[in-house]
Amino acid sequence: MKRLILLIVVCAMVVVGCGGSSSSSGGGSSSNTSSGGHVNITIWHGYTDVEATAIKKLTQEFNATHKNITVTPQFYGNSDYALQKVLAAIAGGKPPDISYLYGSWAANIATNPTTVDLSKYVKSPSWNWTDFWQAARNVATVNGKIIGIPALIDNLALVYNKKLFQQAGISPPTANWTWQDFENAALKLTNPSKKQFGWAYVNDASEDTVWRFWAMLWQAGGSILSADGKQAAFDSPAGVKALTLLQTLAKQNAIYLDNGSDNYTGVFASGHIGMLWTGPWDLSQINTGKVQYGVQILPGDLNHQTISGPDNWVVFNNGSARVNAAVEFLKWFTSPAIDLKWATMTGDLPIRQSATKQAGYAAFVKKYPGIGVWVQNLSNATQSRPVTTTYPKVSTVVGQAVQSVLLGKADPQQALSNAAKQVNGILSAPS
Amino acid sequence: MTALAERSPATRHRPPLFKRIAGSEHFAGWAFVMPAVVLIAVFMLIPIGWSLLLSLQANNLLAPGHYVGLANYKALAKDAQFKSAIGHTFVYTVIFVPVSITGALALAVALNRKIRGIRFYRLAVFIPLVTSTVATGILFLWLLDPTFGLVNYLLHEVGLPQQQFLQDPNQALYCIVAMTVWSWLGFDVIIYLAALQGIPEDLLEASQMDGASRWSTFRSVVLPLLGPATLFLVVWSTINALQLFDEIYVTTRGGPLGSTTVIVYYLYQQAFQFFNAGYGAAIAYVLFVAVLIVTLIQLWIGRRRVYYTS
Repeated sequence: MKRLILLIVVCAMVVVGCGGSSSSSGGGSSSNTSSGGHVNITIWHGYTDVEATAIKKLTQEFNATHKNITVTPQFYGNSDYALQKVLAAIAGGKPPDISYLYGSWAANIATNPTTVDLSKYVKSPSWNWTDFWQAARNVATVNGKIIGIPALIDNLALVYNKKLFQQAGISPPTANWTWQDFENAALKLTNPSKKQFGWAYVNDASEDTVWRFWAMLWQAGGSILSADGKQAAFDSPAGVKALTLLQTLAKQNAIYLDNGSDNYTGVFASGHIGMLWTGPWDLSQINTGKVQYGVQILPGDLNHQTISGPDNWVVFNNGSARVNAAVEFLKWFTSPAIDLKWATMTGDLPIRQSATKQAGYAAFVKKYPGIGVWVQNLSNATQSRPVTTTYPKVSTVVGQAVQSVLLGKADPQQALSNAAKQVNGILSAPS
Repeated sequence: MTALAERSPATRHRPPLFKRIAGSEHFAGWAFVMPAVVLIAVFMLIPIGWSLLLSLQANNLLAPGHYVGLANYKALAKDAQFKSAIGHTFVYTVIFVPVSITGALALAVALNRKIRGIRFYRLAVFIPLVTSTVATGILFLWLLDPTFGLVNYLLHEVGLPQQQFLQDPNQALYCIVAMTVWSWLGFDVIIYLAALQGIPEDLLEASQMDGASRWSTFRSVVLPLLGPATLFLVVWSTINALQLFDEIYVTTRGGPLGSTTVIVYYLYQQAFQFFNAGYGAAIAYVLFVAVLIVTLIQLWIGRRRVYYTS
């Protein structure tokens, strides 16, 4: 009941605000140009812990070196709920100048009239736009418009328990591991009497379930949608092959099926899981000292592709003076030197490819054991999920398909054909 | 008399409008309730009105929406997933309401005695109610974990087969019933305890003197006198059950395979995951009408069947 009321209130606020947002942004511009050249902007983020310290420090550094701009970072709580808060702020006529927003929202955010198209800025050679990793650029680009600057990039790599590998008499994974090597190892690492699993898979049918499957689909040479984006393409031999690997391991109880509350990190840290496909965000939970772990790129079939889930800094229009200031700040903040500084302070991956060639890179890799593999693995993140408004629905359908196979309720071919039919219906529906 | 009137003519004229309003009893009354009226209007009535408008729009909450008439409602009538959400909500409600109410009645009768440590037992029943839903959810996720959960461990100890619980599409909804009954039972027990203690002693004594057994005293004296409490609990629990959301959100998130996707969770998915806010608002209105009808039926039956002492 409480939630329902909240929901209605949020809906109502947004409806009220939609009419007013354009006029208020115009008002903002006049007040800023007349304020004698000094511009104040706010940046909304959900950083806690080391990241919170880092953003505070770096904005102070920016403010000290840029006399005509003052950037104020503001904590908006958990990033999961950021979109609702930003929407309310837009409705109230006072959007933040910059906000950290998930990449999965990009296509929908692009439909908002307050979102600034940054194309004309980043085209300037001084931005060196192509230096950002491919996957991050893909998620910032909606129908040719650039609606954000990369804020975070990650990817999936193979994390394994060294001791369990030794006990099972398997040599550690190499960069040339095939699916067959992976399957054999997962089965050997499985021991029901010890409650020990070869692998873990998030089985809540959410995007967490789906994106791991996409990585496997790409490795087998498949693609999510047809080239024109109008048809499902995942019900291919590649898709069946990927799901069959999941099916085989699930049938042998070689997979710890996580219920979506990220229990797998704790189970891995207690030595009950041999291998994980995960990203640098889990490193702090895995690196508890109880388990000796190694990191390797994912095993492969035709290739060793991985998947990345980048997030964006989105700029909202509060008049040209503030937009210019926001762009200037982001340009500085994502410049190669500051990018590496941020990475070293927080353990996030650098968002620019040139970071690896900088002098400070060696110190960064030394500070976070295993992180170097994830950075190198970014060059395997060549494809991205479709950046469209219908993607959340597509993801839900495919999540159910993968889950039905993991639970032994459907065969790979049957699950994928059924999902493809539904996805085609979603894609052909008038928006 | 007339002289007095001439000396103060103002008393014969009507006072100015402002004074008349400000001085009236109506004004004082409204002034007292105004804060509440404003709060209810701003946070309840206006949003309810807006969401009705929203349900007639195609709106993603991001770009300005446009009017589509009854299209959302028409699409809803053909939506197979919505139908299955209704089915799950129905199954949940028809199990949750009777189980929690009969369970609470039994517990309340057991707790309505003068035994040692009765306060402790009452507290024990009440604690789940004041535990936050998130904590309850995490607790049950671990208890019912197929590999590391306590329940499966106990099943193993007594030689019963291991279950998948929340990860089995055929069991998950019943696990949610068990979890919500556990966490809401305390409320029903309190209501019943209060009602039991309101039963006049002389009635119970009279039935004893007439030679009624304990069971027939309960059946013919206690139970009818608990009628108003039972009616309240049935209405209240049904409304709650039809609006189930939080417990699903923190445990199964509608899964596995959509087996616990109830109406309000589907609404949330549509509005905030798929950005179909207009469609979500339409679901909210359908649910509102359904709750209204169910409640009216229950109250109508209640009026004929429930005995009020006063």
